[in-house]
Amino acid sequence: MSIKDIIAPFAVWKRAFEKPWTIKKPIDDRPGADRYRGFHKNDGDTCIGCGTCETICQNAAIDMVPVDGVQGDGGDSGLRPQIDYGRCCWCALCVDICTTGSLTMSNRYVWTDNDPDVYRFIPGYDSKEWDNAETGYSRPEGYSLLKEERVEMPALSVEEGLKSFVEMIKGYSAEQAVKEADRCVECGICVAECPAHMDIPGYIRAVREGNIDEGMRLLYETNPFPASCGRICTHRCEEVCSIGHNGDSVAIRWLKRYIADQVELEDYGKALPRPEENTGKKIAVIGAGPGGLTAAYYLRMLGHDVAVLEARKAGGGMLRYGIPEYRLPYDQLDKDIEYIRGLGVEIRYSINVDAESFKNLEKDYDALFFSTGLSDPYKLGIDGEDNPRVFGGLAVLDEVTAGKDPKLGKTVGVIGGGNVAMDAARTARRYGAEVTVLYRRRVVDMPADIEEIEEAAEEGITIIPQAIPLRVEDAADGKVGFVWNMAEMVDDPDGGRPRPQPIKGEIHTFVCDSLISAVGQGTNLPYLPEESESGVAVKRYKPVVDERGQTGNPGIFAGGDIVNSRKDAVSAIGDGHAAALSIDRFLMKKEA
Amino acid sequence: MVDLKALRAEMDKRYKVIEISEQRTDLAFLECDKIDVPDAVAYLRDHEGYVHLSFITCVDRLEDEQFEIVYMLRNHEKKHDLGVKTKIDRKNPVMDSMHNHWAAVATYQRELREMFGIEFPGSPGVNRPFALESWAGPPPMRRDFDTRKYSEETYFPRPGRETHDPAEHMKKTQYPGRADL
Repeated sequence: MSIKDIIAPFAVWKRAFEKPWTIKKPIDDRPGADRYRGFHKNDGDTCIGCGTCETICQNAAIDMVPVDGVQGDGGDSGLRPQIDYGRCCWCALCVDICTTGSLTMSNRYVWTDNDPDVYRFIPGYDSKEWDNAETGYSRPEGYSLLKEERVEMPALSVEEGLKSFVEMIKGYSAEQAVKEADRCVECGICVAECPAHMDIPGYIRAVREGNIDEGMRLLYETNPFPASCGRICTHRCEEVCSIGHNGDSVAIRWLKRYIADQVELEDYGKALPRPEENTGKKIAVIGAGPGGLTAAYYLRMLGHDVAVLEARKAGGGMLRYGIPEYRLPYDQLDKDIEYIRGLGVEIRYSINVDAESFKNLEKDYDALFFSTGLSDPYKLGIDGEDNPRVFGGLAVLDEVTAGKDPKLGKTVGVIGGGNVAMDAARTARRYGAEVTVLYRRRVVDMPADIEEIEEAAEEGITIIPQAIPLRVEDAADGKVGFVWNMAEMVDDPDGGRPRPQPIKGEIHTFVCDSLISAVGQGTNLPYLPEESESGVAVKRYKPVVDERGQTGNPGIFAGGDIVNSRKDAVSAIGDGHAAALSIDRFLMKKEA
Repeated sequence: MVDLKALRAEMDKRYKVIEISEQRTDLAFLECDKIDVPDAVAYLRDHEGYVHLSFITCVDRLEDEQFEIVYMLRNHEKKHDLGVKTKIDRKNPVMDSMHNHWAAVATYQRELREMFGIEFPGSPGVNRPFALESWAGPPPMRRDFDTRKYSEETYFPRPGRETHDPAEHMKKTQYPGRADL
């Protein structure tokens, strides 16, 4: 052993006092790159719980779970994604597909804990130190896994449309329909918002797969008016469509129409189920509108005998007498009605039910459903409104349905902002009139469908908002003058929607050949006996029913515009379906 | 700068070059028949200055029923990368081993065998697992490998996991009275 071998170990010790050769670099000094795909963040207010992140996750790392404090409402499922970091590979597909853009990633990547269960967490709700991190990954601008643009619907030009009452919307071709259906992510957020709770993702899938018969079957599970609803539905489903958050919502209504358009009435029977065996029970339905006929359809399918009593000469209610032909051609409405009739539903037209016959019906039938709609136009409540140049909106539409020229003259004023007002205005326009719509609030406050308002504007209809009606007076040359007061909108101290308040001195007169008043309709229930006799309570002009249409009298049910607040066709259809199931339960003594 | 025309002329004298294309001034691709690849690569290494093998990779051309193998070579002097590509039958994926060109090739070939299921007969240790110890499933980088199906069949979910379908959940919470519509 040499002397060197003995001192060498000690020589190493001197290194302890030297400057270190390695560079000290604590790990928390190494942030991820700016666009690093690290731990997840979720903006709970933007997230709608559509579950598309869960669907795309290739590692099945995401579960949709209810979260305390998240209520959920139309368009929000109330669920939020919970991510299992035992499975996640941070590929960011969930971020890329996120329909609302709520899900993002921070650039944080260090997280240590002794408990493996903490790595399953709900981003945005289980508080984490990276919740407010500014850097990290989010879907790059201009990049999307979703198809954000709607397939354009072929339609008549405005000029062509104004020439006649020919249907303006032409409908999708097979290729267009499949392309549009392909945009749907099948999240199912829309189903709750649809008053009839249709299986929307199901029938869109049927379109995508080219399975029209399956589509028809799914449509008729919840809605026996697909040809009509496919044209005029208020499509609240599209307002909550998850794809609509960052792009155009899926054209759900047009896809429904596409299915119904592909099948001739003669072939409906091939795709749709037959009624069940006869039960021997008889049900009377008053009113052959969408509510009444829907109830009739489902009752018939359950094997009951159904008689529908209708005061008018044809069925369809407001679909026929309220909606102009260019939006819903009568042959399409007839297709829906004829199929229901063909199943053995008896429809008796021109039958007026009064209190006496109502009581008889109650005696003669096992159950009664009434859905007679809103037929009583509200009055303007101003002086001079009984002027002979003032017409009711529904009356005008009614006359046109009957094939008569309403003879409105060259200039027409329409008072109101709902769908009846828009339809009356557009109808007058088709008879060549210059049309002006006067509404007491702002355009955004109009209860009419936004499409109707836009199309009215495209057709050259002038809209004067914030016009408070003062009086109607005669004008020169047999014309009529509508005196109105310009309003300013003031906030409602009670938190309601802003109210119009007249501006002093801003009083104008609109002179025209005819004035159409369309400020809404109310219930008219002259046939309904007193509560003491019928057991049906009426509160604020509405028959009181439970959520499935049953009145205080267990054998009497009601639905449609006279009971619900949405007052549209699809709500009446939902009511009719619910009431039919409820009646069946009542008659067959089924447990709820 | 590399004169691709001249390079191609030289290559054409010796091997069948299917295509040569320039992607950037410092990057080009050259496609050969499978049988020419070992010799072509050796020629490029020994006579054209592509002395360095950067990596070998594979593209699964499922629709064409082919695998495309890419040998990425580098000429340090000219600062130029050249990818030599070839296509092999996806149903019978066998490729000549090139471990004699560069010893490190054996490792890449081991990886390709594991990830794509391509056989390299004679390559040292090619059948040993590369990254996937005791892997029993199909080669995972093949495009027809169903990650989700494999994971569902092979692994079990963490206990206590439960998910909810949005539409069903909304039915229960938002319209229970009409849930049977």
